[in-house]
Amino acid sequence: MRAWEAGKQADCYPHVAREEKERLFREIKDDERYTDYLYGCYECGICVSACPSARFYNYSPRVIAQAMAREDTDRVYEILIEDIWNCAQCFSCTRCPRQNNPGGLVSIIREVAVRNGIQETRDVLQGYSRVIYKVMLKGNQVSPDMLQPEFFADWGTWVEGFTKNMREWRRAIPLESLRGVTDASWRTDHKTLVELYTIWFETGNVELIREVDEGLYELLKNTMEEELEDAEDED
Amino acid sequence: MKTEPGSGSCIQQILQKKAQPVRRDPAKAPTHDVREELFELEARGELIVHRVPEPYLEVQTKFGRTKKIPVEHTWHHKSCGQCGHIPGYSSSIVWLHRQLGLDYVDPTDQTSCTGWNYYASGASNPAAQTAVMCRNFAAAYQAGYYPLIHCGTSYGHYKEVREELVHHQHLRDEVRRIMDKLNKPLVVPEEIVHYSEWVHAMRHRIAERQVIDMSHIRACIHAACHYHKIVVEDAIYDPNILKGERTAIITGVLQALGITVEDYSTWFDCCGFGFRHILVERDFTRSFAISRKIEVMKREVNPDMVVVQDTGCYTTLDKSQFIGKAHQRDVGIPAFSDAQITALALGAHPFRVVQMHWGSTDWRPLMAKLGIDWQTYKDEFDADVEAIRRGDKKAVTWEDCDAPVVTKTK
Amino acid sequence: MSRVLTIGSGPAGLEAARCVAELGYDVTLIEQLDRLGGTPEIERYAKLTHHFRDSEEAMREMITAVTSKPNVQVLPNTTVLSASGEAGKFRVAVKNGGAPQEIEAGAIIIATGFQHFDPGRETQYYNYYSLPDVITISDLEGMLKDHAVLRPSTGTPPQKVAFIQCVGSRDRQIGNEYCSKVCCGIASKQAIEIREQLPDSQVFIFYIDMRMYGYWEPQLYWPAQEQHKVTYVKGLVSEILPQGDRILIRGEDTTMGRPMEITLDMVVLSVGMEPSEGTKSMAGVFGVEQNQYGFIATGGASGIDPVATSRPGIFVVGAAAGPSDLDDSFSTAGLAAVRAASVLRNGGK
Repeated sequence: MRAWEAGKQADCYPHVAREEKERLFREIKDDERYTDYLYGCYECGICVSACPSARFYNYSPRVIAQAMAREDTDRVYEILIEDIWNCAQCFSCTRCPRQNNPGGLVSIIREVAVRNGIQETRDVLQGYSRVIYKVMLKGNQVSPDMLQPEFFADWGTWVEGFTKNMREWRRAIPLESLRGVTDASWRTDHKTLVELYTIWFETGNVELIREVDEGLYELLKNTMEEELEDAEDED
Repeated sequence: MKTEPGSGSCIQQILQKKAQPVRRDPAKAPTHDVREELFELEARGELIVHRVPEPYLEVQTKFGRTKKIPVEHTWHHKSCGQCGHIPGYSSSIVWLHRQLGLDYVDPTDQTSCTGWNYYASGASNPAAQTAVMCRNFAAAYQAGYYPLIHCGTSYGHYKEVREELVHHQHLRDEVRRIMDKLNKPLVVPEEIVHYSEWVHAMRHRIAERQVIDMSHIRACIHAACHYHKIVVEDAIYDPNILKGERTAIITGVLQALGITVEDYSTWFDCCGFGFRHILVERDFTRSFAISRKIEVMKREVNPDMVVVQDTGCYTTLDKSQFIGKAHQRDVGIPAFSDAQITALALGAHPFRVVQMHWGSTDWRPLMAKLGIDWQTYKDEFDADVEAIRRGDKKAVTWEDCDAPVVTKTK
Repeated sequence: MSRVLTIGSGPAGLEAARCVAELGYDVTLIEQLDRLGGTPEIERYAKLTHHFRDSEEAMREMITAVTSKPNVQVLPNTTVLSASGEAGKFRVAVKNGGAPQEIEAGAIIIATGFQHFDPGRETQYYNYYSLPDVITISDLEGMLKDHAVLRPSTGTPPQKVAFIQCVGSRDRQIGNEYCSKVCCGIASKQAIEIREQLPDSQVFIFYIDMRMYGYWEPQLYWPAQEQHKVTYVKGLVSEILPQGDRILIRGEDTTMGRPMEITLDMVVLSVGMEPSEGTKSMAGVFGVEQNQYGFIATGGASGIDPVATSRPGIFVVGAAAGPSDLDDSFSTAGLAAVRAASVLRNGGK
């Protein structure tokens, strides 16, 4: 990832029309949280000092606040394409003496990037699709059956041992709602899931997924619509 | 920390001043009290405020306000990361309630807050996030039980979402429309309560039942960012714990159990979880957890364990150490949640309840130091697993677990 | 009625009393403590910013200039209970020791000053109460006065010291959105004094902006950098934590654009100004408006008068009206003395 340096080429995406960059920035600023998340910037560096990502990536919550306060459209576009995915969303940066919330700005920009189906955003989220599938369909972010050695090689031999014993271990849990469940974190009532699907449809969260991954969207939409129809028939 | 005084009378004066805990005057709180706004909205008929049921305990928060923590009649709002990958975390919380004979429910009418996904991908929106929260709160309200939030991110996320809900009429209207469709009332609890706050408030009652001496144990703690860095005024601070300058969570209960809590120079650092990073970009998570947390603790304190109060922090600090070991880094600190270590102190079965076999870090040296003959319990649990595999036993149940079993071997 | 009542005996109150007396009117100066001198006296200031004058000596001169005047009545150990009347004819009930007493005055000057921000309310993580070697600029004044700049934890001189600016100032999180005006100068003055007293030491100042207006540049900022080799770093500190028996600070060096961590022996917090308890209670007793920060609001009818309160005949001077340096305190004291004198001269008009 290219470092941002003042005085060097400011526009990393010259092929993207200025109108498009301005449109996206306007959409960010139109979020009603924007004015609560960005005041001014002292350049005090408190946010960077507290930021885990600033120690690992070429990433600076201070630069994000500055670029947006200065309305630097080119830099904001670069942030939308690249920087936002480095943020750990820990909100350590909210200690800002001006009460800026750089992590919150990142949340807003991510939403805009997803909503607009930006190609780079789709690329970033490609490996993440199975999580979106799980959380929207099961109401859980992760489940035991996602702990597979090919995805978690760095967690060591424990994962292999776990995979062999998953079914038995899940039955050997005293907490009833977890016991025996492997494709979700806990057993959720069918009625509850149907209510969750209603929320996803009513708030436009299903249509949003079309912008992330067309195939995933079709799968989720069809599955949830079927469940909703069945639930209506039962009523 | 050295406390021996230096020479000079003004140094004595400074040290005397520092001997006082921080004074927290709620009148000087720089933030509004969201509870007052909730009650106003309730008075206008906009929503229902779910009152903290009696009996409750009162604790102090960051700016000196009082927060009510329900003792019982709680609706256990589970955490997907805990239940999916650290089931002994959730079991331990519930086991503690059972030990104290408290009324609770383990609901199946609950979804995750879905905040982890929101913080990972941005593939959602405020209306959806608020509706998911309100659906869960309405389910608890209708069940007649008060939500006790197991996850640090759910706790922080709900507090942020609550801010948005309170401050934006159109969001309330939108969520009310959806709740109407679901045939549910729009409900927000009077207090958003994290399980570790319950553990903290109950720590003296819990410590009365301690059977394993832990007074020779030294721990480092890590408080979750989403617990004390989001909507900061809701986090518990106690003038008698860490001088009231940092959240009292975890430290309070460990001290009540006789454990020495050691300070280290990256106390406030995030663990490195990163939401999306832990799932799809773990080089960041691993590097941060090893170099900024585990190695620092090891170098400065060399504790017997690290104790956390959240799902993500546990996963990060427990699972990231394998690769550090493979690269000969200075790692090797077993990770526990406050709930798990507390359950162990009260004699919970290390495997049936605390489910230590889900942990990756080596907990055996700590067990040995506690005088717990873990092998016996491991054999017992392995027999459970084999019986389940053969079909001779359906499951491990509370009947297998309720009685404290652990005793010291020496 | 030819008397002015002045409340508070710090630099602003003393100067106001002196000026009124020299204009030929009677003054009653009341002070809640048993001795005069205000904050420089109570907190045992070493040298005054920005002139480097010995604080004790300068305050003694100011006190003598007031107590030596025949038309000044000084009432120590005295608190104000209530007030009535209006410009030209105020009646103020006070308690002098145990005895209640009524004072008639044509005009009133409030000079009740400030108190330092309590670093326990800071929303960064500075651990003032937990770590003995984290002190404030007012703690350091006493050490400098005693020529005993020592780490409280060990009683030994620190080798590396850092100042952190804007603690409790310019911070929306705390609600103190204002600049406390003097801390940049005080920290620079103290940094020079530390370097003079401990020539082997290394001193850092972490700041957002160094507010070195007017002659503070050649008097403080440049000498600190050029002669005393004090290191100024643009960037604040987010955390102070123990590291072995020393302390670690963490911030961003914003000029270099990267996170920084430095191990130190002692940290000095440049705590800002808040209204003193006396200032807040006098605002209540006299019914004058306070601004959102609790200081006494100024402006008067014109909106720009720096000593007029919301009530005619009642004036405010020095840090009771907001963060002030010594120059401000003297200027407002002199102006309020003239305003009070004209109230007396014109019979309350």
